[in-house]
Amino acid sequence: MATGVRKAVYPLFQLGGPQLRIFRPNFFMLAVRPGVPQPEDTVQFRVSMEMTKVDIKNYLEKIYNVPVAAVRTRIQYGANNKRNHKNQRVKKPDYKVAYVQLGQGQTFQFPNLFPEKEQDAEARSFDDFKDKYMEREKQRQKGDPRRGGVPDWFGL
Amino acid sequence: MAALCRRFTAALRLSGARPGSTLAGLPGLRLNLFHKNLAKAEPLHQLKFLHTTLSRKGLEEFFDDPRNWGEKTVKSGDAWNIKQLRGKSSEDLHKLWYVLLKEKNMLLTLEQESKRQLKPMPSPERLEKVEKSMKNIDLVVKEREIALRLLQTGHEKPVPGEWRHDFLGRTYWYSYKEWPIPWYLNKKYKRRKFYYLPHVDRFIRLRLEKSLRIKARRQNLERTRQKVLERKFPHLAVKSQSQ
Repeated sequence: MATGVRKAVYPLFQLGGPQLRIFRPNFFMLAVRPGVPQPEDTVQFRVSMEMTKVDIKNYLEKIYNVPVAAVRTRIQYGANNKRNHKNQRVKKPDYKVAYVQLGQGQTFQFPNLFPEKEQDAEARSFDDFKDKYMEREKQRQKGDPRRGGVPDWFGL
Repeated sequence: MAALCRRFTAALRLSGARPGSTLAGLPGLRLNLFHKNLAKAEPLHQLKFLHTTLSRKGLEEFFDDPRNWGEKTVKSGDAWNIKQLRGKSSEDLHKLWYVLLKEKNMLLTLEQESKRQLKPMPSPERLEKVEKSMKNIDLVVKEREIALRLLQTGHEKPVPGEWRHDFLGRTYWYSYKEWPIPWYLNKKYKRRKFYYLPHVDRFIRLRLEKSLRIKARRQNLERTRQKVLERKFPHLAVKSQSQ
């Protein structure tokens, strides 16, 4: 509830005051394929900039029911070496990266989300039709084989 | 059925509705009535089986259904509109929020992975739908909070405040804050000026004149543009006047 458009107003902390609670959190968290090879039990995430290590641990344990052993975070500086047409620097946004070590001996392997799928019957028939059509068109472009390569212009 | 729709129906199932019903086919009022009856009556034997909590599969929930991997398009239902959400109980809205949050995370993961592999994301409109639904839930919850606050305290805003002037005579809404010490001991607060001196009056007048002049200039520009258009296309002008 601390991010985005909504701004939570929390009461001033006093000893014995109620615990702060988050309703409807709008923290996002996306798993990314690690660029540098990681140990088997480590998962790499991109998280909201406002999230702390404790937040990440609670988020995974409470919402996703994933056992978490340790969390490490860093902030990735977005490159600003690109220039626009007015030669001004263009900044890419920074983001927070979290490396989460899973507990209870769990391991994680990032799956291939875009596997080469064998085409179903409809797509295959469509491709066949397209190939046939292209072949016919090519034949038509070539012209009459009986003319022996003489262009149409010379005909009647 | 699509992943989004499946999750929505899962959420609907949570609220005690029939499992086969689509989300668009359920008017809010009927659902509400149904809910009230549920609260009063004893839980039916058949309904017991419909109470399925969301399956928490762990890290697999960051990824789409394996059946949708490698597909070009994935079918999905419509976003939750505000009328449907108004008919739901606060508890259901809270649950639905988490369903949508997980869906959003899944879609963001998919988007990032497709960017990385330089491939088009399958059905990117899903992300907008989820965000729209979340915005609508937020609106409904806010409406309810305001209604409850009006009933209990008579205030519309969660934090009381008042209109104040700053040292340049501009008026703005000042919302009260909690301070650990009283204001007369608070040096930082006492340094702020919520008043303006008489010599500022001239500048207030100038500011007003400036804003009025900008407004008049904009209106003038609009009027001349209209006239030019009418001169250029007289047949259209006559037509629009006659209609």
